[in-house]
Amino acid sequence: MAIIPVPKPSRKSMDPGRDVNCLLRAQVEHLQHAERRLPLRYRSSIYIHAIRTEGEAAQYIREVTEAIHKAHADAIGERKKRARAAKGLVRPKAKVKKSGRGK
Amino acid sequence: MSKGLEGLKHIVVLMMENRSFDHMLGSLKAVDGRIDGITDQMDNLDNTGASVKPQLLADFQGQLDPDPNHHFQAVDVQIFNGDTSASRQPNMKGFVKSYYNLRRDTAHSQKIMYCFKQKDLPVLTTLALEYAVFNRWFSSIPGPTICNRAFAHYGTSFGRVDMNPFDIIEPFKSIYSRLIEATPKRTAKVYYYDTTSSTMEVVNLLQNQPELFGTYKQFLQDCDKGSLPDYSFVEPNFNDHETDEGEELASDQHPDHDVQAGERLIAEVYMRIKRNPNLWPSTALLVLYDEHGGIFDHVPPPPCSPDHFTAPANATGTGMEFKFDRLGVRVPAVLVSPWIPKNTVVDRVFDHASIPATVTKFFQLGDLPRSPRELNADVFIEPNVTPLDPQRNLLSLDAMRSDCPEFGV
Repeated sequence: MAIIPVPKPSRKSMDPGRDVNCLLRAQVEHLQHAERRLPLRYRSSIYIHAIRTEGEAAQYIREVTEAIHKAHADAIGERKKRARAAKGLVRPKAKVKKSGRGK
Repeated sequence: MSKGLEGLKHIVVLMMENRSFDHMLGSLKAVDGRIDGITDQMDNLDNTGASVKPQLLADFQGQLDPDPNHHFQAVDVQIFNGDTSASRQPNMKGFVKSYYNLRRDTAHSQKIMYCFKQKDLPVLTTLALEYAVFNRWFSSIPGPTICNRAFAHYGTSFGRVDMNPFDIIEPFKSIYSRLIEATPKRTAKVYYYDTTSSTMEVVNLLQNQPELFGTYKQFLQDCDKGSLPDYSFVEPNFNDHETDEGEELASDQHPDHDVQAGERLIAEVYMRIKRNPNLWPSTALLVLYDEHGGIFDHVPPPPCSPDHFTAPANATGTGMEFKFDRLGVRVPAVLVSPWIPKNTVVDRVFDHASIPATVTKFFQLGDLPRSPRELNADVFIEPNVTPLDPQRNLLSLDAMRSDCPEFGV
């Protein structure tokens, strides 16, 4: 079967200055809802009520999405650190016991 | 038994944005009379009383600005033409009226009836003619995006008909949680385009289970490596943005984003699966749209069994409560697999609750609590169990097709 060509969109289609549509507006609001639950150090400094364009919305969307991932990744890192530390507490005890036997 | 179902390992859903069946696929009626598209007998009246028929004049961008209203109240007008009486019947005569309300411009309001020519959408129309096209796939709610997408993820919108954040209400769970908590454990992923496009499922999935998410680039890599999860949900790019690699054009086809960018996305997803000879026979791809976006369609949404929830009158904006007992406007939906006979047309009724219903049944996730709407939703892939009803199985071929189309992307 012959390969069916798929036309490329016009280069003029790209417009980050386009007014934000109702879907992106809702997405920004959902992200703000999530952002409010993040610890302060992960929060964006962007004021969402001043967002007017797709490009501005895109910047906020990226910042908060990455912050959510980072907050979870950091929490996992902390959990692992605590687990390692807990294991570290067990080891010295075992060593003490072992050295005790030697005496 | 069905060879297609026996070998099926992956279900991929690509959900686009805001286009109606007639707008995208209505032209195919002229190619195949079984496809329930547009005819000269259909019309809406404009504000002068003139008849406006669907016409093959849709353009890729620039016609549907402002964005047609598709909130619950406006869709109610589109379906019932403003009739709020107890005896009203859906007649699909209020699309021009609803669009006129936005700009008070008679000529502009008529564009809501425009449909694409077959040749303008080579990807979607080819897939529809080559595989299985659904004549009766409706959005789940006569309303906007977020609550309709919720039906694809949860089988319910938990009583919501709007765009606001919502909470999952126990005992219902997302299809992703059902899969990863199953015994034996299954795999699932939501692939958003990138972090700058992100997802429309922020408040529940991204916020609480970010590990469920991957990027579109990862989806492409997973296709190449043959490491797709059992179930993948792919989201398009929702906004125009710049990245280190250049410009990224919105590919969701939401008005007024370029429809051709979405065509390329659909072609790329299809070709990436097809190019992996191990993945192609073992994957079914469903391409569909979340809702009609306020754009004309001629098929009245049918009534359905009500959900567990009710939206109050102040939430619907119509002065009437909504028991989730009617489907939303019809959307394009195409199921792709090399085991589907060419030019299959499906007349059974589906909505987005059919997605979790199908995945739950196909992967045999057990007797889980599910919404009444999901329990009543039909499945588009039969469970691979005996006895199999051959009339319902779409992946019915004894041998895999070797004549499947390819796109140049």
